[in-house]
Amino acid sequence: MIDAEPLRETLASKAAGLFRAYRTGDEARMGELVGLLTPILWHTARAQRLDRETAEDVVQSAWLVLVRNADSISDPQAVLGWLITTVRRESWRVAKRDGRTQATEFEDDDVVAPLADLPEERVLADDSAGRLWQHLARLPERCQALLRVIAFADRPDYAAVAEALGMPVGSIGPTRGRCLAKLRAQLTEDPTWENS
Amino acid sequence: MTNPRPDETALAAGSIDAVDVATLQRIEALYGQLDPVPAGLIDRIQFGITLDALHAEIAELQRSADLVGVRSEGAADAQTVTFTSARLTTMVTISRISADAVRIDGWAVPGAGVTVDLRTQGGTQTVVADDDGRFVFESVPAGMAQFVLRGTDQADPPVLTPSIEL
Repeated sequence: MIDAEPLRETLASKAAGLFRAYRTGDEARMGELVGLLTPILWHTARAQRLDRETAEDVVQSAWLVLVRNADSISDPQAVLGWLITTVRRESWRVAKRDGRTQATEFEDDDVVAPLADLPEERVLADDSAGRLWQHLARLPERCQALLRVIAFADRPDYAAVAEALGMPVGSIGPTRGRCLAKLRAQLTEDPTWENS
Repeated sequence: MTNPRPDETALAAGSIDAVDVATLQRIEALYGQLDPVPAGLIDRIQFGITLDALHAEIAELQRSADLVGVRSEGAADAQTVTFTSARLTTMVTISRISADAVRIDGWAVPGAGVTVDLRTQGGTQTVVADDDGRFVFESVPAGMAQFVLRGTDQADPPVLTPSIEL
């Protein structure tokens, strides 16, 4: 077995391994799982335009729901998708209840909205990051949300993450799909953009 | 409505390549810098999960307005916070003794002989209240903390307070 090539671990498979260990009694692994997945869950909530405080509450409660229902998740491999779905639905519910933030269910392909309360001047100070930001801002809102969340996962996970976000099958992975294609076309047309 | 670029459909049907992956990594870095996960959020979640496993009775915070000032600059020297639950009322006064430590004087009613755990991210301190229900933690590191109170009757569930920032 020494020569066997290890499978390349992805965010979803690492999460599955930790969750499986937690369920078989290794409680400390839950702490590691929280550290691993909280960033992608944070951006899932923020991509639905929740303010920072509300996003914190939503992410925190998703974890408690997971712990209280750990045994009801039949496939540990699905834990990443399960958490993203939980955060997305709860974000939508909370935003609707509060009426102060406009959540989207990512239906509107043609609405280009400015990204939520982010300090634009901070990026614009940096040339390449600033240009990427401006290109992202020109994408439909659901594409911004998709690419923002996907960026925190690994390539083999893209399709499952997109599905957990409620995006149509084929939105991304294994093919680029519309959103990534739009961005790539924009970047290709930008003479000042250099692929790294 | 923007017109799709002629090559967009072909691009969309193509496989994700190294250029796309590099672009997504730059998007990750961009959002990580612009809208980072709030400081302490991961610790707070881990802490909350641990406490949730206790299945305790939850006490309510009565004077949340005071909490905001506990750690802010120029905060008063002492803050008093009250927690109430069905069986117990607990009042704690938090006094700053140094830049990163506080002293806690508590009073639980009815609290004679109640065991008080103070859980912080660095560990748990335990004291037993006197006959009047008074208890003291001489020095506690600043940060998130939560009280767990257990009565003398082992059959009663522990009372848990929300975490507060010391």
